[in-house]
Amino acid sequence: MSKFAKIPLMIAGVGAGLFVGTFTMYMFNLDMKMMTLVAPLLEKWYDSREHDFYL
Amino acid sequence: MSNMKTVEVVYNTRERAGEKSPGKIYSEKLKVRRRREWRGLKDTLFDYSRWCYLMFGVLGKFILNPRNVKGFLRYRWMMSYLFVPHGMDKFTIGLRDEALRITHYAMNYVIADVTQAIHNCFRGDRRVGNDVAYSEKCCITDENSMVPFVMGFDKEKMHTILREVPTMFASNIFHQFNVMHYLDVAQQNGIPGDVCPMPEAEAGVSMDDDFCVLGACAVQNNTTCDGSLMGNGIIAKRLEKQYGIPTYQLATPLRHQEEDVIDYAVEQIKGAIAFIEEHTGEKWEWPVYFEAARRVNVATRCRNAQLEINSTPYPQFFGAVFSLYNDTNYMGNAGRDPYFEVLDKKLLKLAEQGYKEKRMYAKEYRHRAIVWGVQPQYVIDMLYWMVQCWGVVPLVDMLSVINKDMIAETDTPENREQAFRDMAMLNMQMIMRNHTHGGYKVLVDELWDLCEKMNADVVMMWEHMSCKALNGMHGMFEEQGRERGIHIMWVNHDLCDPRVFTRSAIRDQVNRYMRTVMREEPLDPSLEHIPDDEAY
Repeated sequence: MSKFAKIPLMIAGVGAGLFVGTFTMYMFNLDMKMMTLVAPLLEKWYDSREHDFYL
Repeated sequence: MSNMKTVEVVYNTRERAGEKSPGKIYSEKLKVRRRREWRGLKDTLFDYSRWCYLMFGVLGKFILNPRNVKGFLRYRWMMSYLFVPHGMDKFTIGLRDEALRITHYAMNYVIADVTQAIHNCFRGDRRVGNDVAYSEKCCITDENSMVPFVMGFDKEKMHTILREVPTMFASNIFHQFNVMHYLDVAQQNGIPGDVCPMPEAEAGVSMDDDFCVLGACAVQNNTTCDGSLMGNGIIAKRLEKQYGIPTYQLATPLRHQEEDVIDYAVEQIKGAIAFIEEHTGEKWEWPVYFEAARRVNVATRCRNAQLEINSTPYPQFFGAVFSLYNDTNYMGNAGRDPYFEVLDKKLLKLAEQGYKEKRMYAKEYRHRAIVWGVQPQYVIDMLYWMVQCWGVVPLVDMLSVINKDMIAETDTPENREQAFRDMAMLNMQMIMRNHTHGGYKVLVDELWDLCEKMNADVVMMWEHMSCKALNGMHGMFEEQGRERGIHIMWVNHDLCDPRVFTRSAIRDQVNRYMRTVMREEPLDPSLEHIPDDEAY
């Protein structure tokens, strides 16, 4: 098979891989589960910030 | 009970594709759902495509900008936006076909609009982007402000920044606990805990130095209550005294049904326009105004048509997204963004198609409800839960019952005078103020007219415990509802503070009413008690 003939196959392969990866992430809610790990760290970060209170 | 009004039960003849009981995807251990709902191949792929759009087309694009990363790390409220897809899932529980598409298209654009608002805030913010030239062409306004007074400014030249929308209003939808910090700050500084938590949280954000600081000027509005006046005072003081941003107080008459207030309201609008011209250096342009007015009329016609469909046995576009879409389009946009016109027509087309096909959100519609009062931000999926769990259809909510009349849209000398009256009318009848102020006719009488027109047998009455304007009418609703044979289902909440009423405490009030008064069993028992009190 020539190099050029492989290009569509490679594109299809990458596309299929991306689809499987993102669909798995979507279906099992992995994106949001990951965020539940990030949020407490961020909270500590925000707590450590100095506040310029004004009333 | 025998004198109570009843409506015909409508049955869904179609079997729902995919899983039948979405209750099992909630988890007690996780703060988000176990997994996403399987909606059958076609609808799952559609939902996935919208997830991709949000993740990569909106949120991914936003965070690729280094300025936005800096803003993200600067402001605590930004943490809520980690959970945008989780927030979107709250609106689509059990949805298929047209309903799923309507909900996604409407809410996705609201999310894109809020994302753009954050981007604009960070661009001009003195602590993040510090684009001085941009900031000098910005006017900041309240979250609860109707913005007709900027309809005649070219939005490419004069930028209107609704600073409180991303900071407080929208952030609470995606993350139920994120506002508590600001409530605590306000209360630690002496604000009583019994005022509306929305303006109280906004005051807390200001005290905590967590608002973006930008703009040549600001316009504040006496929106709906004592709480908003209190919050505005605190915010305006910091804007003017510390940041040097002059603030105009747009004092809007509350008795908006009375003809004798209109001249005063017109003067206030003219004053706000002159103030913005003075501070931004931009001029009011009548062709820009009338083009926006034309789009406002398109939005009004489409909204009226949606409500017409909702008064039939097959309502199509309802729930929190209908309300949030109207908030954004009617109040925050006011005809300035051309895409809303395209979207209005697209959503109406989908609703008409759904009506023709007799599509339903659930397998039965047992009751038809008007939702009155103000919805809690942190249990924003309540109306979708109510129709899925109990078959109670929320035909329309109070915040979506807004202006139904057309405004002048042709540029003539007479219409230029009429335009100020139209702007004054739109401003006076902004979401919330149009029913919570203006006397019992707009709060009580109009409710019964709606029940009649939309053939409702239930009023789901949100009783926001810190809202004095509505709580004062409790007895009147009870008495008149009884006379008319309308079920009044009271549901207490505290708007933004889940510590006062948790999500399950809110849902249990409906569960109790449906079991003890209606003597009914849930349509989907998997949803009656869902463990999401600790979820974002």
